[in-house]
Amino acid sequence: MGAEEKRKECHSGSLTGDALEAEDVLANAEEWSPVETKLVVWSFAIAVIALIVGLIVVPTSVLH
Amino acid sequence: MTNQERKWYTGMLTQEDWWAVWLGLGFFLLGLLSIGGIDVLGWITYPKKWVFSLPEGAVAKKIVTVNHAFYPLGAKYSQTAKDFYKGLGPIGGILMTYLVFTVATSIGAYFMRWDLKKYITGWTIIFFLTYLTWFVGHHAFFSASVVDLKKSHFPEMFTLSLGGGASFILALIVGLVIGNFFKPFAQYLSTAAKPEWFIKTAIVFLGVKVGYLPIKAAATSQKLGHAVAGLTFDLFVAGAAATIVAYMIFWPGVYLISRKIFKLPRATAAVLGSGISICGVSAAVATGGAVRAKPVVSIMVSALVVVWAVIELVILPGFFTHVWPGTGDPLVAGSAMGMSVKTDGADAAAGELLDEFMRAKISAETDGKVVWPEGIITTSAVMTKVWIDMFIGLWAFVLAMIWVYKIDKRPGERVPFSEVWHRFPKFVIGYFVAWFVYLAIFFGPGHAGAADGMAVLKAAKVGAINVEKGMRKLFFMLTFMSLGIITDFAKLKEAQFGKMVWVYFVALFCFIIPVAVLIAYLFHHGMMIPTLGAAG
Repeated sequence: MGAEEKRKECHSGSLTGDALEAEDVLANAEEWSPVETKLVVWSFAIAVIALIVGLIVVPTSVLH
Repeated sequence: MTNQERKWYTGMLTQEDWWAVWLGLGFFLLGLLSIGGIDVLGWITYPKKWVFSLPEGAVAKKIVTVNHAFYPLGAKYSQTAKDFYKGLGPIGGILMTYLVFTVATSIGAYFMRWDLKKYITGWTIIFFLTYLTWFVGHHAFFSASVVDLKKSHFPEMFTLSLGGGASFILALIVGLVIGNFFKPFAQYLSTAAKPEWFIKTAIVFLGVKVGYLPIKAAATSQKLGHAVAGLTFDLFVAGAAATIVAYMIFWPGVYLISRKIFKLPRATAAVLGSGISICGVSAAVATGGAVRAKPVVSIMVSALVVVWAVIELVILPGFFTHVWPGTGDPLVAGSAMGMSVKTDGADAAAGELLDEFMRAKISAETDGKVVWPEGIITTSAVMTKVWIDMFIGLWAFVLAMIWVYKIDKRPGERVPFSEVWHRFPKFVIGYFVAWFVYLAIFFGPGHAGAADGMAVLKAAKVGAINVEKGMRKLFFMLTFMSLGIITDFAKLKEAQFGKMVWVYFVALFCFIIPVAVLIAYLFHHGMMIPTLGAAG
Protein backbone atom coordinates (compact mmCIF):
# COMPACT_ATOMS: atom_id res chain seq x y z
CA MET A 1 0.00 0.00 0.00
CA GLY A 2 1.53 3.32 -1.03
CA ALA A 3 1.81 6.28 1.29
CA GLU A 4 -0.88 8.28 -0.52
CA GLU A 5 -3.20 5.30 -0.70
CA LYS A 6 -2.65 4.62 2.96
CA ARG A 7 -3.40 8.23 3.85
CA LYS A 8 -6.69 8.05 1.93
CA GLU A 9 -7.54 4.77 3.62
CA CYS A 10 -6.85 6.31 6.97
CA HIS A 11 -9.21 9.20 6.40
CA SER A 12 -12.03 7.21 4.84
CA GLY A 13 -13.32 6.10 8.23
CA SER A 14 -13.99 2.74 6.65
CA LEU A 15 -13.01 -0.54 8.22
CA THR A 16 -10.53 -2.44 6.15
CA GLY A 17 -8.00 -5.04 6.99
CA ASP A 18 -5.21 -4.07 4.65
CA ALA A 19 -1.59 -4.79 5.37
CA LEU A 20 0.31 -2.56 7.70
CA GLU A 21 3.86 -1.44 7.48
CA ALA A 22 6.08 -1.84 10.49
CA GLU A 23 6.85 1.66 11.61
CA ASP A 24 8.11 2.73 14.95
CA VAL A 25 5.42 4.90 16.39
CA LEU A 26 5.58 3.36 19.82
CA ALA A 27 9.04 4.48 20.88
CA ASN A 28 10.63 7.85 21.68
CA ALA A 29 8.00 9.04 24.08
CA GLU A 30 8.28 12.73 24.90
CA GLU A 31 8.65 13.94 28.48
CA TRP A 32 5.36 14.40 30.32
CA SER A 33 4.49 18.07 30.13
CA PRO A 34 2.38 20.35 32.36
CA VAL A 35 -0.08 20.83 29.46
CA GLU A 36 -0.85 17.12 29.59
CA THR A 37 -1.42 17.33 33.33
CA LYS A 38 -3.88 20.16 32.72
CA LEU A 39 -5.64 18.18 29.96
CA VAL A 40 -6.05 15.11 32.15
CA VAL A 41 -7.03 16.97 35.32
CA TRP A 42 -9.56 19.16 33.49
CA SER A 43 -11.13 16.13 31.84
CA PHE A 44 -11.56 14.39 35.19
CA ALA A 45 -12.88 17.59 36.76
CA ILE A 46 -15.48 18.01 34.00
CA ALA A 47 -16.44 14.36 34.47
CA VAL A 48 -17.02 14.89 38.20
CA ILE A 49 -19.12 18.01 37.57
CA ALA A 50 -21.11 16.25 34.83
CA LEU A 51 -21.64 13.28 37.14
CA ILE A 52 -22.98 15.42 39.99
CA VAL A 53 -25.22 17.48 37.68
CA GLY A 54 -26.35 14.33 35.84
CA LEU A 55 -27.22 12.47 39.02
CA ILE A 56 -29.30 15.42 40.20
CA VAL A 57 -30.98 16.24 36.87
CA VAL A 58 -31.54 12.84 35.20
CA PRO A 59 -34.78 11.35 36.55
CA THR A 60 -33.62 7.74 36.17
CA SER A 61 -30.38 8.16 38.17
CA VAL A 62 -29.82 6.29 41.42
CA LEU A 63 -30.47 9.51 43.36
CA HIS A 64 -34.14 9.50 42.30
CA MET B 1 -8.91 18.30 0.03
CA THR B 2 -8.00 20.89 2.66
CA ASN B 3 -10.35 22.14 5.36
CA GLN B 4 -10.81 25.42 3.50
CA GLU B 5 -11.96 23.66 0.32
CA ARG B 6 -14.56 21.53 2.10
CA LYS B 7 -18.15 22.71 2.02
CA TRP B 8 -20.82 21.69 4.51
CA TYR B 9 -22.27 19.31 1.92
CA THR B 10 -18.94 17.74 0.97
CA GLY B 11 -19.12 13.97 0.99
CA MET B 12 -22.89 13.69 0.70
CA LEU B 13 -22.53 11.44 -2.31
CA THR B 14 -19.18 9.90 -1.58
CA GLN B 15 -19.13 8.88 2.08
CA GLU B 16 -20.45 5.69 3.70
CA ASP B 17 -21.86 7.79 6.49
CA TRP B 18 -24.10 9.73 4.13
CA TRP B 19 -25.03 6.67 2.12
CA ALA B 20 -26.26 5.04 5.30
CA VAL B 21 -28.56 8.06 5.65
CA TRP B 22 -29.77 7.88 2.03
CA LEU B 23 -30.40 4.14 2.15
CA GLY B 24 -31.93 4.20 5.61
CA LEU B 25 -34.18 7.19 5.03
CA GLY B 26 -35.07 6.03 1.50
CA PHE B 27 -36.56 2.80 2.80
CA PHE B 28 -38.00 4.62 5.81
CA LEU B 29 -39.89 6.95 3.44
CA LEU B 30 -41.11 4.03 1.33
CA GLY B 31 -42.30 2.41 4.57
CA LEU B 32 -44.31 5.53 5.44
CA LEU B 33 -46.37 5.05 2.28
CA SER B 34 -48.24 2.30 4.11
CA ILE B 35 -50.14 5.02 5.98
CA GLY B 36 -51.74 5.85 2.62
CA GLY B 37 -52.46 2.16 1.99
CA ILE B 38 -49.47 1.58 -0.30
CA ASP B 39 -47.28 -1.30 0.88
CA VAL B 40 -44.22 -1.46 -1.35
CA LEU B 41 -41.79 -3.14 1.06
CA GLY B 42 -43.59 -6.36 1.96
CA TRP B 43 -41.12 -8.43 -0.11
CA ILE B 44 -38.42 -8.28 2.58
CA THR B 45 -38.02 -11.91 3.55
CA TYR B 46 -37.59 -12.98 7.15
CA PRO B 47 -36.75 -16.31 8.83
CA LYS B 48 -38.76 -18.42 11.26
CA LYS B 49 -37.57 -21.07 13.66
CA TRP B 50 -37.81 -24.37 11.87
CA VAL B 51 -37.36 -28.14 12.00
CA PHE B 52 -37.21 -30.67 9.18
CA SER B 53 -40.47 -32.25 10.30
CA LEU B 54 -42.86 -31.62 13.18
CA PRO B 55 -42.95 -34.25 15.90
CA GLU B 56 -46.27 -35.96 16.54
CA GLY B 57 -48.80 -33.70 18.22
CA ALA B 58 -46.83 -30.51 17.51
CA VAL B 59 -48.38 -27.50 15.77
CA ALA B 60 -46.60 -25.12 13.42
CA LYS B 61 -46.87 -22.01 15.58
CA LYS B 62 -43.56 -20.65 16.85
CA ILE B 63 -41.65 -23.42 15.08
CA VAL B 64 -42.48 -24.40 11.50
CA THR B 65 -41.31 -26.97 8.97
CA VAL B 66 -38.34 -26.31 6.74
CA ASN B 67 -40.39 -25.31 3.68
CA HIS B 68 -41.81 -22.39 5.70
CA ALA B 69 -38.47 -21.30 7.12
CA PHE B 70 -38.69 -17.96 5.29
CA TYR B 71 -41.61 -15.70 4.43
CA PRO B 72 -42.00 -12.23 2.94
CA LEU B 73 -43.18 -10.01 5.79
CA GLY B 74 -45.95 -8.63 3.58
CA ALA B 75 -47.51 -12.08 3.48
CA LYS B 76 -48.26 -11.69 7.16
CA TYR B 77 -48.53 -7.97 7.82
CA SER B 78 -49.65 -6.26 4.60
CA GLN B 79 -53.13 -4.75 4.64
CA THR B 80 -53.40 -4.14 0.92
CA ALA B 81 -51.13 -6.60 -0.91
CA LYS B 82 -51.07 -9.70 1.27
CA ASP B 83 -51.97 -12.04 -1.61
CA PHE B 84 -49.23 -10.66 -3.82
CA TYR B 85 -46.56 -11.16 -1.16
CA LYS B 86 -47.90 -14.61 -0.28
CA GLY B 87 -47.57 -15.46 -3.98
CA LEU B 88 -43.89 -14.52 -3.94
CA GLY B 89 -43.10 -17.35 -1.53
CA PRO B 90 -39.78 -17.67 0.28
CA ILE B 91 -37.57 -18.05 -2.80
CA GLY B 92 -39.28 -15.25 -4.71
CA GLY B 93 -39.07 -13.06 -1.62
CA ILE B 94 -35.36 -13.68 -1.14
CA LEU B 95 -34.67 -13.00 -4.81
CA MET B 96 -36.65 -9.77 -4.69
CA THR B 97 -34.84 -8.74 -1.51
CA TYR B 98 -31.54 -9.45 -3.27
CA LEU B 99 -32.57 -7.50 -6.36
CA VAL B 100 -33.75 -4.40 -4.50
CA PHE B 101 -30.75 -4.21 -2.17
CA THR B 102 -28.30 -5.00 -4.95
CA VAL B 103 -29.59 -2.03 -6.93
CA ALA B 104 -29.82 0.24 -3.87
CA THR B 105 -26.37 -0.53 -2.49
CA SER B 106 -24.76 -0.57 -5.93
CA ILE B 107 -25.91 3.00 -6.49
CA GLY B 108 -24.09 3.87 -3.27
CA ALA B 109 -21.05 1.86 -4.32
CA TYR B 110 -21.02 3.67 -7.67
CA PHE B 111 -21.04 7.12 -6.08
CA MET B 112 -18.42 6.07 -3.55
CA ARG B 113 -16.29 5.07 -6.52
CA TRP B 114 -15.84 1.47 -5.53
CA ASP B 115 -15.05 -1.18 -8.13
CA LEU B 116 -18.66 -1.91 -9.11
CA LYS B 117 -18.01 -5.30 -10.69
CA LYS B 118 -16.12 -6.50 -7.63
CA TYR B 119 -18.72 -4.97 -5.35
CA ILE B 120 -21.67 -6.69 -7.01
CA THR B 121 -19.91 -10.07 -7.10
CA GLY B 122 -18.78 -9.75 -3.50
CA TRP B 123 -22.19 -8.45 -2.38
CA THR B 124 -23.94 -11.36 -4.09
CA ILE B 125 -21.75 -13.91 -2.30
CA ILE B 126 -22.09 -12.15 1.06
CA PHE B 127 -25.85 -11.72 0.64
CA PHE B 128 -26.59 -15.37 -0.11
CA LEU B 129 -24.11 -16.61 2.49
CA THR B 130 -25.89 -14.36 4.97
CA TYR B 131 -29.31 -15.79 4.09
CA LEU B 132 -27.92 -19.33 4.27
CA THR B 133 -26.49 -18.60 7.72
CA TRP B 134 -29.76 -16.99 8.76
CA PHE B 135 -31.54 -20.15 7.71
CA VAL B 136 -29.21 -22.51 9.59
CA GLY B 137 -29.16 -20.25 12.66
CA HIS B 138 -32.94 -20.45 12.92
CA HIS B 139 -33.01 -24.22 13.21
CA ALA B 140 -34.91 -24.98 16.42
CA PHE B 141 -31.86 -26.63 17.97
CA PHE B 142 -30.01 -23.30 17.95
CA SER B 143 -32.81 -20.80 18.34
CA ALA B 144 -35.91 -22.26 20.01
CA SER B 145 -36.53 -21.49 23.66
CA VAL B 146 -38.50 -23.57 26.15
CA VAL B 147 -41.42 -21.20 25.61
CA ASP B 148 -41.27 -21.65 21.81
CA LEU B 149 -41.31 -25.42 22.28
CA LYS B 150 -44.24 -25.19 24.65
CA LYS B 151 -46.29 -22.91 22.40
CA SER B 152 -45.75 -25.25 19.46
CA HIS B 153 -46.63 -28.28 21.62
CA PHE B 154 -43.23 -29.85 21.12
CA PRO B 155 -42.06 -32.58 23.47
CA GLU B 156 -39.31 -31.60 25.88
CA MET B 157 -35.98 -31.52 24.06
CA PHE B 158 -32.62 -29.90 24.44
CA THR B 159 -32.08 -26.65 22.51
CA LEU B 160 -29.45 -23.93 22.86
CA SER B 161 -32.23 -21.32 23.33
CA LEU B 162 -30.18 -18.59 21.65
CA GLY B 163 -33.12 -17.00 19.85
CA GLY B 164 -32.13 -14.84 16.88
CA GLY B 165 -28.69 -14.50 18.47
CA ALA B 166 -27.72 -17.90 17.10
CA SER B 167 -27.79 -16.55 13.54
CA PHE B 168 -25.67 -13.54 14.50
CA ILE B 169 -23.04 -15.73 16.14
CA LEU B 170 -23.07 -18.11 13.21
CA ALA B 171 -22.69 -15.25 10.71
CA LEU B 172 -19.74 -13.96 12.71
CA ILE B 173 -18.15 -17.41 12.82
CA VAL B 174 -18.63 -17.96 9.08
CA GLY B 175 -17.15 -14.51 8.43
CA LEU B 176 -14.20 -15.16 10.76
CA VAL B 177 -13.50 -18.51 9.09
CA ILE B 178 -13.40 -16.78 5.71
CA GLY B 179 -11.35 -13.87 7.08
CA ASN B 180 -8.76 -16.04 8.78
CA PHE B 181 -8.57 -19.28 6.75
CA PHE B 182 -9.46 -18.15 3.23
CA LYS B 183 -7.60 -14.88 3.10
CA PRO B 184 -7.47 -14.42 -0.70
CA PHE B 185 -11.24 -15.00 -0.80
CA ALA B 186 -11.73 -12.56 2.09
CA GLN B 187 -9.60 -10.03 0.23
CA TYR B 188 -11.78 -10.50 -2.83
CA LEU B 189 -14.93 -9.97 -0.78
CA SER B 190 -13.52 -6.96 1.03
CA THR B 191 -14.91 -4.51 -1.57
CA ALA B 192 -18.40 -5.52 -0.49
CA ALA B 193 -17.71 -6.44 3.15
CA LYS B 194 -18.55 -3.07 4.70
CA PRO B 195 -19.65 -3.54 8.31
CA GLU B 196 -19.57 0.18 9.10
CA TRP B 197 -21.86 1.00 6.18
CA PHE B 198 -24.23 -1.85 6.89
CA ILE B 199 -24.46 -1.10 10.58
CA LYS B 200 -24.93 2.62 10.10
CA THR B 201 -27.79 1.83 7.74
CA ALA B 202 -29.15 -0.64 10.30
CA ILE B 203 -28.96 2.09 12.93
CA VAL B 204 -31.12 4.37 10.78
CA PHE B 205 -33.56 1.44 10.56
CA LEU B 206 -33.25 1.19 14.33
CA GLY B 207 -34.56 4.76 14.49
CA VAL B 208 -37.75 3.40 12.89
CA LYS B 209 -37.76 0.69 15.53
CA VAL B 210 -37.44 3.13 18.42
CA GLY B 211 -40.24 5.32 17.02
CA TYR B 212 -42.38 2.28 16.28
CA LEU B 213 -42.01 0.73 19.77
CA PRO B 214 -44.85 2.80 21.32
CA ILE B 215 -47.05 2.01 18.30
CA LYS B 216 -46.43 -1.69 18.79
CA ALA B 217 -47.03 -1.45 22.51
CA ALA B 218 -50.25 0.53 21.97
CA ALA B 219 -51.64 -2.47 20.11
CA THR B 220 -51.59 -4.24 23.49
CA SER B 221 -52.82 -1.26 25.49
CA GLN B 222 -52.70 2.52 25.31
CA LYS B 223 -51.05 2.59 28.73
CA LEU B 224 -48.24 0.33 27.50
CA GLY B 225 -47.70 2.56 24.47
CA HIS B 226 -47.20 5.55 26.75
CA ALA B 227 -44.84 3.56 28.99
CA VAL B 228 -42.62 2.56 26.05
CA ALA B 229 -42.58 6.09 24.60
CA GLY B 230 -41.54 7.38 28.04
CA LEU B 231 -38.88 4.72 28.39
CA THR B 232 -37.22 5.57 25.08
CA PHE B 233 -37.03 9.22 26.16
CA ASP B 234 -35.59 8.19 29.52
CA LEU B 235 -32.92 6.18 27.69
CA PHE B 236 -32.18 9.20 25.52
CA VAL B 237 -31.59 11.47 28.53
CA ALA B 238 -29.81 8.90 30.71
CA GLY B 239 -27.65 7.87 27.74
CA ALA B 240 -26.55 11.47 27.17
CA ALA B 241 -25.54 12.01 30.81
CA ALA B 242 -23.80 8.64 31.09
CA THR B 243 -21.87 9.22 27.88
CA ILE B 244 -20.54 12.64 28.85
CA VAL B 245 -19.38 11.39 32.24
CA ALA B 246 -17.93 8.16 30.84
CA TYR B 247 -16.06 9.83 28.05
CA MET B 248 -14.48 12.48 30.23
CA ILE B 249 -13.18 9.66 32.45
CA PHE B 250 -12.28 7.20 29.66
CA TRP B 251 -10.10 9.44 27.53
CA PRO B 252 -7.76 10.87 30.20
CA GLY B 253 -7.63 7.45 31.86
CA VAL B 254 -6.49 5.66 28.72
CA TYR B 255 -4.15 8.53 27.89
CA LEU B 256 -2.57 8.22 31.34
CA ILE B 257 -2.23 4.43 31.02
CA SER B 258 -0.64 4.80 27.58
CA ARG B 259 1.76 7.55 28.60
CA LYS B 260 2.68 6.67 32.18
CA ILE B 261 2.57 2.86 32.21
CA PHE B 262 3.36 1.97 28.59
CA LYS B 263 5.50 5.04 27.82
CA LEU B 264 3.94 5.78 24.44
CA PRO B 265 4.49 9.04 22.54
CA ARG B 266 1.84 11.76 22.91
CA ALA B 267 0.21 11.45 19.48
CA THR B 268 0.00 7.67 19.68
CA ALA B 269 -1.43 7.86 23.20
CA ALA B 270 -4.02 10.42 22.07
CA VAL B 271 -5.17 8.27 19.15
CA LEU B 272 -5.29 5.20 21.39
CA GLY B 273 -7.18 7.19 23.99
CA SER B 274 -9.87 8.10 21.48
CA GLY B 275 -9.91 4.71 19.79
CA ILE B 276 -10.37 2.80 23.03
CA SER B 277 -12.61 5.37 24.65
CA ILE B 278 -14.99 6.54 21.97
CA CYS B 279 -16.20 5.05 18.81
CA GLY B 280 -13.12 3.17 17.70
CA VAL B 281 -12.31 3.65 14.08
CA SER B 282 -13.90 7.03 13.38
CA ALA B 283 -12.53 8.44 16.62
CA ALA B 284 -9.04 7.10 15.96
CA VAL B 285 -9.10 8.58 12.47
CA ALA B 286 -10.53 11.90 13.67
CA THR B 287 -8.03 12.20 16.51
CA GLY B 288 -5.17 11.06 14.29
CA GLY B 289 -5.99 13.98 12.03
CA ALA B 290 -6.42 16.39 14.92
CA VAL B 291 -3.10 15.61 16.60
CA ARG B 292 -1.26 14.98 13.35
CA ALA B 293 -0.33 11.41 14.24
CA LYS B 294 1.35 9.33 11.54
CA PRO B 295 -1.35 7.64 9.41
CA VAL B 296 -0.10 4.22 10.46
CA VAL B 297 -1.09 4.94 14.06
CA SER B 298 -4.74 5.43 13.12
CA ILE B 299 -4.65 2.31 10.95
CA MET B 300 -3.05 0.21 13.69
CA VAL B 301 -5.50 1.43 16.31
CA SER B 302 -8.41 0.89 13.91
CA ALA B 303 -7.34 -2.70 13.28
CA LEU B 304 -7.01 -3.31 17.01
CA VAL B 305 -10.39 -1.74 17.65
CA VAL B 306 -12.04 -4.12 15.19
CA VAL B 307 -10.37 -7.22 16.59
CA TRP B 308 -11.04 -6.33 20.23
CA ALA B 309 -14.62 -5.32 19.41
CA VAL B 310 -15.22 -8.80 18.02
CA ILE B 311 -13.77 -10.35 21.18
CA GLU B 312 -16.04 -8.12 23.30
CA LEU B 313 -18.97 -9.04 21.10
CA VAL B 314 -18.41 -12.70 21.85
CA ILE B 315 -17.83 -12.30 25.60
CA LEU B 316 -19.96 -9.42 26.90
CA PRO B 317 -23.57 -10.32 25.89
CA GLY B 318 -23.30 -13.71 27.59
CA PHE B 319 -21.48 -12.24 30.59
CA PHE B 320 -24.01 -9.44 31.10
CA THR B 321 -26.92 -11.86 30.68
CA HIS B 322 -25.76 -14.76 32.81
CA VAL B 323 -23.28 -13.28 35.30
CA TRP B 324 -24.11 -9.65 35.99
CA PRO B 325 -26.33 -7.55 35.86
CA GLY B 326 -28.61 -10.20 34.32
CA THR B 327 -32.35 -9.80 33.80
CA GLY B 328 -32.60 -7.75 37.02
CA ASP B 329 -31.07 -4.72 35.32
CA PRO B 330 -31.19 -5.28 31.54
CA LEU B 331 -30.84 -1.62 30.64
CA VAL B 332 -27.72 -1.23 32.77
CA ALA B 333 -26.26 -4.04 30.69
CA GLY B 334 -27.37 -2.43 27.42
CA SER B 335 -26.04 0.97 28.31
CA ALA B 336 -22.73 -0.47 29.54
CA MET B 337 -22.45 -2.35 26.26
CA GLY B 338 -22.81 0.89 24.33
CA MET B 339 -20.00 2.46 26.31
CA SER B 340 -17.69 -0.57 26.19
CA VAL B 341 -17.79 -1.90 22.63
CA LYS B 342 -15.85 0.38 20.36
CA THR B 343 -17.30 0.09 16.89
CA ASP B 344 -20.84 0.94 15.85
CA GLY B 345 -21.11 -2.41 14.16
CA ALA B 346 -19.95 -4.55 17.03
CA ASP B 347 -21.82 -2.47 19.59
CA ALA B 348 -25.19 -2.57 17.85
CA ALA B 349 -24.62 -6.23 17.09
CA ALA B 350 -23.66 -6.98 20.69
CA GLY B 351 -26.71 -5.00 21.83
CA GLU B 352 -28.89 -7.07 19.53
CA LEU B 353 -27.34 -10.26 20.84
CA LEU B 354 -27.86 -9.08 24.41
CA ASP B 355 -31.46 -8.25 23.56
CA GLU B 356 -32.03 -11.77 22.25
CA PHE B 357 -30.28 -13.42 25.22
CA MET B 358 -32.06 -11.32 27.84
CA ARG B 359 -35.51 -11.78 26.31
CA ALA B 360 -34.99 -15.52 26.01
CA LYS B 361 -33.76 -15.66 29.62
CA ILE B 362 -36.58 -13.62 31.14
CA SER B 363 -39.12 -15.61 29.18
CA ALA B 364 -37.62 -18.88 30.43
CA GLU B 365 -37.32 -17.58 34.01
CA THR B 366 -40.98 -16.57 34.14
CA ASP B 367 -42.36 -19.42 32.07
CA GLY B 368 -43.41 -17.01 29.33
CA LYS B 369 -45.32 -14.67 31.63
CA VAL B 370 -42.91 -11.78 31.09
CA VAL B 371 -42.32 -10.89 27.44
CA TRP B 372 -40.15 -7.86 26.80
CA PRO B 373 -40.66 -5.99 23.52
CA GLU B 374 -37.87 -6.71 21.12
CA GLY B 375 -35.33 -3.95 20.58
CA ILE B 376 -35.46 -1.94 23.81
CA ILE B 377 -32.19 -3.41 25.13
CA THR B 378 -30.60 -2.90 21.71
CA THR B 379 -31.84 0.69 21.88
CA SER B 380 -30.18 1.22 25.26
CA ALA B 381 -26.88 -0.03 23.79
CA VAL B 382 -27.17 2.08 20.67
CA MET B 383 -28.36 5.19 22.51
CA THR B 384 -25.11 5.58 24.47
CA LYS B 385 -23.19 4.79 21.30
CA VAL B 386 -25.02 7.43 19.31
CA TRP B 387 -24.17 10.05 21.94
CA ILE B 388 -20.56 8.94 21.90
CA ASP B 389 -20.55 9.20 18.10
CA MET B 390 -21.86 12.75 18.30
CA PHE B 391 -19.11 13.56 20.75
CA ILE B 392 -16.35 12.53 18.33
CA GLY B 393 -16.49 15.72 16.29
CA LEU B 394 -16.44 17.99 19.31
CA TRP B 395 -13.59 16.08 20.97
CA ALA B 396 -11.51 15.98 17.78
CA PHE B 397 -12.01 19.75 17.58
CA VAL B 398 -10.94 20.27 21.22
CA LEU B 399 -7.88 18.05 20.78
CA ALA B 400 -6.95 19.77 17.54
CA MET B 401 -7.03 23.13 19.33
CA ILE B 402 -4.97 21.84 22.28
CA TRP B 403 -2.40 20.27 19.99
CA VAL B 404 -2.17 23.28 17.67
CA TYR B 405 -2.13 26.00 20.32
CA LYS B 406 -0.62 24.29 23.39
CA ILE B 407 1.39 21.19 22.55
CA ASP B 408 2.82 21.57 19.05
CA LYS B 409 2.40 25.37 19.13
CA ARG B 410 2.01 25.70 15.35
CA PRO B 411 2.24 29.43 14.57
CA GLY B 412 -0.37 30.86 12.21
CA GLU B 413 -2.46 27.70 12.14
CA ARG B 414 -6.21 27.92 12.80
CA VAL B 415 -8.78 25.21 13.50
CA PRO B 416 -12.13 26.06 11.83
CA PHE B 417 -15.28 25.26 13.79
CA SER B 418 -16.66 23.59 10.64
CA GLU B 419 -14.38 20.70 11.60
CA VAL B 420 -17.02 19.67 14.14
CA TRP B 421 -19.58 19.24 11.36
CA HIS B 422 -17.16 17.31 9.16
CA ARG B 423 -16.44 14.90 11.99
CA PHE B 424 -20.11 14.58 12.93
CA PRO B 425 -21.49 11.05 12.32
CA LYS B 426 -24.16 11.79 9.73
CA PHE B 427 -26.06 8.52 10.06
CA VAL B 428 -27.19 9.81 13.45
CA ILE B 429 -29.36 12.33 11.56
CA GLY B 430 -31.18 9.48 9.84
CA TYR B 431 -31.64 7.70 13.16
CA PHE B 432 -33.25 10.69 14.83
CA VAL B 433 -35.40 11.66 11.81
CA ALA B 434 -36.84 8.13 11.61
CA TRP B 435 -37.42 7.99 15.36
CA PHE B 436 -39.09 11.40 15.68
CA VAL B 437 -41.32 10.98 12.61
CA TYR B 438 -42.78 7.72 13.94
CA LEU B 439 -43.10 9.27 17.38
CA ALA B 440 -44.92 12.23 15.79
CA ILE B 441 -47.27 9.78 14.07
CA PHE B 442 -47.92 8.09 17.43
CA PHE B 443 -48.69 11.30 19.30
CA GLY B 444 -50.26 13.11 16.27
CA PRO B 445 -52.64 11.24 13.95
CA GLY B 446 -52.24 8.13 16.12
CA HIS B 447 -53.79 10.00 19.09
CA ALA B 448 -51.20 8.38 21.40
CA GLY B 449 -52.81 4.96 21.00
CA ALA B 450 -56.42 6.04 21.63
CA ALA B 451 -59.15 4.11 19.81
CA ASP B 452 -59.71 6.80 17.15
CA GLY B 453 -56.03 6.74 16.17
CA MET B 454 -55.61 3.00 15.92
CA ALA B 455 -56.45 2.81 12.18
CA VAL B 456 -53.53 5.13 11.38
CA LEU B 457 -51.20 3.28 13.76
CA LYS B 458 -52.10 -0.09 12.25
CA ALA B 459 -51.41 1.25 8.76
CA ALA B 460 -48.10 2.78 9.94
CA LYS B 461 -47.15 -0.56 11.51
CA VAL B 462 -47.21 -2.29 8.12
CA GLY B 463 -44.46 -0.11 6.66
CA ALA B 464 -42.51 0.20 9.90
CA ILE B 465 -42.34 -3.53 10.51
CA ASN B 466 -40.79 -4.20 7.10
CA VAL B 467 -38.02 -1.73 7.88
CA GLU B 468 -37.47 -2.21 11.61
CA LYS B 469 -37.79 -5.97 11.59
CA GLY B 470 -36.89 -7.30 8.15
CA MET B 471 -34.34 -4.77 6.92
CA ARG B 472 -32.78 -4.00 10.29
CA LYS B 473 -32.15 -7.67 11.05
CA LEU B 474 -30.86 -8.33 7.55
CA PHE B 475 -28.38 -5.47 7.84
CA PHE B 476 -27.31 -6.70 11.28
CA MET B 477 -26.68 -10.11 9.74
CA LEU B 478 -24.68 -8.53 6.90
CA THR B 479 -22.70 -6.60 9.51
CA PHE B 480 -21.78 -9.72 11.47
CA MET B 481 -20.76 -11.55 8.32
CA SER B 482 -18.70 -8.62 7.02
CA LEU B 483 -17.12 -7.93 10.39
CA GLY B 484 -15.90 -11.52 10.47
CA ILE B 485 -14.62 -11.35 6.89
CA ILE B 486 -12.44 -8.30 7.50
CA THR B 487 -11.16 -9.42 10.92
CA ASP B 488 -7.73 -10.98 10.74
CA PHE B 489 -6.58 -12.31 14.11
CA ALA B 490 -3.08 -12.82 12.74
CA LYS B 491 -2.62 -9.07 12.96
CA LEU B 492 -2.45 -9.33 16.72
CA LYS B 493 0.64 -11.44 16.36
CA GLU B 494 2.50 -8.91 14.29
CA ALA B 495 5.40 -7.59 16.26
CA GLN B 496 4.55 -3.91 16.08
CA PHE B 497 1.18 -4.60 17.63
CA GLY B 498 2.58 -6.21 20.76
CA LYS B 499 2.68 -3.16 22.97
CA MET B 500 -0.60 -1.75 21.67
CA VAL B 501 -2.39 -5.04 22.23
CA TRP B 502 -1.42 -4.87 25.88
CA VAL B 503 -2.37 -1.21 26.24
CA TYR B 504 -5.73 -2.04 24.73
CA PHE B 505 -6.21 -5.12 26.89
CA VAL B 506 -5.33 -3.37 30.15
CA ALA B 507 -7.33 -0.24 29.32
CA LEU B 508 -10.39 -2.13 28.13
CA PHE B 509 -10.78 -4.85 30.72
CA CYS B 510 -9.27 -3.13 33.78
CA PHE B 511 -10.60 0.36 33.17
CA ILE B 512 -13.17 0.97 30.42
CA ILE B 513 -15.58 -1.92 31.04
CA PRO B 514 -15.71 -1.59 34.87
CA VAL B 515 -16.17 2.19 34.64
CA ALA B 516 -18.82 1.78 31.90
CA VAL B 517 -20.77 -0.68 34.05
CA LEU B 518 -20.53 1.60 37.08
CA ILE B 519 -21.73 4.67 35.19
CA ALA B 520 -24.47 2.70 33.43
CA TYR B 521 -25.60 1.54 36.89
CA LEU B 522 -25.64 5.08 38.28
CA PHE B 523 -27.91 6.32 35.49
CA HIS B 524 -29.96 3.25 34.51
CA HIS B 525 -30.34 1.17 37.66
CA GLY B 526 -33.95 0.22 38.25
CA MET B 527 -35.23 1.17 34.78
CA MET B 528 -37.59 -1.61 33.85
CA ILE B 529 -38.90 -2.77 30.50
CA PRO B 530 -42.70 -3.01 30.28
CA THR B 531 -43.90 -6.50 29.49
CA LEU B 532 -46.15 -7.53 26.63
CA GLY B 533 -46.97 -10.79 28.40
CA ALA B 534 -49.60 -11.85 30.86
CA ALA B 535 -47.62 -10.56 33.81
CA GLY B 536 -47.96 -7.01 32.58
